Amino acid sequence: MIGYFILQYRMTNRKLNDFGIGPVIGYVLLTAGFIGLSVFLFYKTAFAEYIYITVALAFVSNLSEIKRNDFLKACFSDKKFKLLRISENLVVTIPFVCFLFFKQLLLSPVILIGISVLLGLTSFKTTLHFTVPTPFFKRPFEFSVGFRNTFYLFIISYLLTFFALFYDNFNLGVFALLLVIVIPFSYYVRPENDYFVWIFNSSSKQFLFHKIKTGLFFSSMLSLPIALVLGSSYPANVEVIFLSISLGYFFLITMILAKYASYPYEIGLPEVIIIVASVFFPPLLLAIIPYFFIKSTKRLTRILG
Amino acid sequence: MIEVIGLSKKYGAKQVLKNIKIKFEEGIVCGIVGENGAGKTTLFRCIAGLEDYEGKIFSEINPLKNHLGFLQTEPYFFSKITGNEYLRLLCNARNKELKDIESKNIFDLPLNQYASTYSTGMKKKLALTAVLLQENNFFILDEPFNGVDIHSNIIITEIIHKLRELKKTVIISSHIFSTLSDNCDEIHLLKEGEFINKVTKGEFAKLESEMKEITIGDKIERLEIK
Repeated sequence: MIGYFILQYRMTNRKLNDFGIGPVIGYVLLTAGFIGLSVFLFYKTAFAEYIYITVALAFVSNLSEIKRNDFLKACFSDKKFKLLRISENLVVTIPFVCFLFFKQLLLSPVILIGISVLLGLTSFKTTLHFTVPTPFFKRPFEFSVGFRNTFYLFIISYLLTFFALFYDNFNLGVFALLLVIVIPFSYYVRPENDYFVWIFNSSSKQFLFHKIKTGLFFSSMLSLPIALVLGSSYPANVEVIFLSISLGYFFLITMILAKYASYPYEIGLPEVIIIVASVFFPPLLLAIIPYFFIKSTKRLTRILG
Repeated sequence: MIEVIGLSKKYGAKQVLKNIKIKFEEGIVCGIVGENGAGKTTLFRCIAGLEDYEGKIFSEINPLKNHLGFLQTEPYFFSKITGNEYLRLLCNARNKELKDIESKNIFDLPLNQYASTYSTGMKKKLALTAVLLQENNFFILDEPFNGVDIHSNIIITEIIHKLRELKKTVIISSHIFSTLSDNCDEIHLLKEGEFINKVTKGEFAKLESEMKEITIGDKIERLEIK
């Protein structure tokens, strides 16, 4: 069983190396990021404790995926399998538990540990059986696949918009709008199999324009309903809504181009640093977008000619 | 027509393809056989332009990749894309309108289900349907019969005959010799990155027995099955 955890450790190191950072630096950055985000969450909202447990359980439940568990069952005896599953769930939970204890919360970490142990003894399908319908069937791929993975977040966003109007809370409405704008960024994080670039009979520039056009159109389909409702309810704040949407478009273009600027590899550390810098200073996007566009064109030319 | 001249490919120090020279004529179905690791898939990826290589590849219609239907050994599918969307994606990519999809679903695939839930054979049939709907001039079919049921086998054989009739250039690889001898006009034997033999229809049986002799040798006796 120790061999299994050593293997997991090695695989994590390989992922960090592929990402362009050494394992030591990677673990330091991950720890710092985790602490930073935790502090930020507890500073920002009174519901942090619940959000925190939900996030921790989301990570843990991923390990209960049925195929993964079938494989582990085939490899280990029943007793070792259960021990292994509980152990790996606790490994994932420990950082969250430690932070909750640090915040002097006692009940929630105990509940979290209890649920993690129980989840270690169960396995379930993390994917749904039925086909989630999407409005993106005309141009399938990023949005149809991504929407199916994140549709519940859109339901939450639209509910938040409803609550924002009901309780007359414009800031909550803007938060919902930003959420809808930001979720599709995740659709462009991983590079697709090269076959799905190769099939296009277009030049690299045409390919990129096609991807950007599709991304902006589908992103608008998701975000404009909230923007219109907010705009009509808060006409004095139209500038804020307009600014949010415009920035969202610029960042979406940046994400699309960042993906292909590193293609066929995952988005590298330099691109991530550049994107983070532009979050703090958005005018940088005016330089970043052309830079990523040129880089993407070069990367894609090898496949698209 | 596709002509390959002096094609070589290395992965690090390992030479996978060695100075390949071959011509694939239109209206001819050409089979490629070889053991696992002989270089078949690498050759196909080079012809498709998915790999860098040394040498030259010419075709009568350019760019070749925009007119090539490439059925991969293990077609890749996104986790949550339906069969219908997969077909649409491949047609959109070639600016082909996807019309009357139900009547073109000749393998009776459940197109509204996620393609990732399909069996191996169903995935192969979906990917084959997609490259056919793209209306290509050239076809590379890497193991088209892999995992496919007997009924669909018959349909795929008929499709290949139809492609020949339509004067398309078709390249097939298969590990099942009978599927090649039923479908191909010529068969090329690839070994360790080099073509070592080419036979036409009348010589298929001879090639098969030669391959059996080379491949099997005394291996079964050495196993001492009891």
